[in-house]
Amino acid sequence: MAQTDKFSVVSAVILAGTRKGLFLLKSDDRRSWSVEDPVLEGWDVFHAMQDLRDGSLYAAANHGVYGATVHRSTDGGKTWTRSEGLGLPEDSGLTLEKTWHVEPGRDSEPGTLWLGGAPGVLFRTDDSGESWEVVQSVLEHPTRERWNPGAGGMCTHSIQLDPADPNRMYIGISAAGVFRSEDEGESWTPANKGTAADFFPEDRFPEVGQCVHKLLLHAGKEGRLWQQNHCGVYRSDDRGENWERLEDNGLPSAFGFPLALHDAKPDTAFVIPEDEARGGEVGGGNRVTTGGRLGVYRTDDGGKTWELASNGLPERAWVEVLREGMASDRDDPVGIYFGTKSGSIFVSLNEGDEWFEAARYLPAVLSVEIGELPS
Amino acid sequence: MAVTVLVPSLLAAQAGGTNRFEVEAPSVAAALRALPVSDLIFDETGTLRGLVTVYVDGKDIRTRDGVETPLEGDEEIRIVAAIAGG
Repeated sequence: MAQTDKFSVVSAVILAGTRKGLFLLKSDDRRSWSVEDPVLEGWDVFHAMQDLRDGSLYAAANHGVYGATVHRSTDGGKTWTRSEGLGLPEDSGLTLEKTWHVEPGRDSEPGTLWLGGAPGVLFRTDDSGESWEVVQSVLEHPTRERWNPGAGGMCTHSIQLDPADPNRMYIGISAAGVFRSEDEGESWTPANKGTAADFFPEDRFPEVGQCVHKLLLHAGKEGRLWQQNHCGVYRSDDRGENWERLEDNGLPSAFGFPLALHDAKPDTAFVIPEDEARGGEVGGGNRVTTGGRLGVYRTDDGGKTWELASNGLPERAWVEVLREGMASDRDDPVGIYFGTKSGSIFVSLNEGDEWFEAARYLPAVLSVEIGELPS
Repeated sequence: MAVTVLVPSLLAAQAGGTNRFEVEAPSVAAALRALPVSDLIFDETGTLRGLVTVYVDGKDIRTRDGVETPLEGDEEIRIVAAIAGG
């Protein structure tokens, strides 16, 4: 149990967004987790996270009948307020299909957050989610006509702010690719050089159209980005100007969705491959863990080599872990957390060396994040 | 005279736990727009969401004038999430 000051004791909390609401799993030691009754019942919670600047919880939530929205809680998940009127401008000819990811803004902008959604849209709030403004530069991007929806829709699912430059940020859209802004979202440059779109056999390396599945920035090494793509795992060391494909080096498949990094080690990353995509074969036809094994793969050398880090995970398991389904904490050693569409949450408290099942029989897990709440 | 609007549980939860509203409105659209969850019933273009079904005194508004169906007062409007997918 962590004691942050004389009066407050905090518990670790796993925020597990599911097909049937949001589940909070609490623990005083990160080994034994209690599952609280769900909140936001009825909503598909695509992503839920804690804004560490003020402790608020946010959930990007969708409903098959009532549309897409964002909910915020300032009391640890007891009560929630919905962002009303979230939508796209009428002159765009588009309507908001889904919300996918909420990303806190910078410490210098306490009310600012970013929201990614479908069809390939980005929103910004400066009042902690009471109102959201669509980012026109993404909505009207000159390459938009060359974007295509992936199986989950044309979703803006990754939003990364560069701590090295207050104006630089990145987004990942499926299937449009990675885009970098050097002016805090006023304009966006495609950043997909070296990223394959093997599903376009006539032009495997287009300017845009890549199917990025998850994009993460490592704050400890300027210019370092990682992505799990439909067509491989990639690393960039120059702010996405160039990407190096990392395979034939221990990974059993190029295809997968989740990605997690190590807060203190820029060369360490974790992925969970799916399907059997090797040698440039396009994966995605069979979206379950490769070889029927729940395999977490870890690299400690920037992706030159990968090793299976699955001690404690079931060896025979045909499961799916979605793009928001894995997270890491900032402890030493780093903890890794992931959830499956079959309703289990797995935890490693030693950087993937050993795993245990923290919960099972949840609804399909769509997202996993880690936070802290008062006990 | 007020009409009564009954909403399903998810909308009630979003309306602070209230599932029954009394509103003065000349049409179904006006009645639904008076609700605190109107943005969940209509999309950003003002169109009734495709899987929201509305009944006035037991009759589907699609068999009448849709959301423009006029109200005289005293009707009961019931919102139902369309059944889809089995």
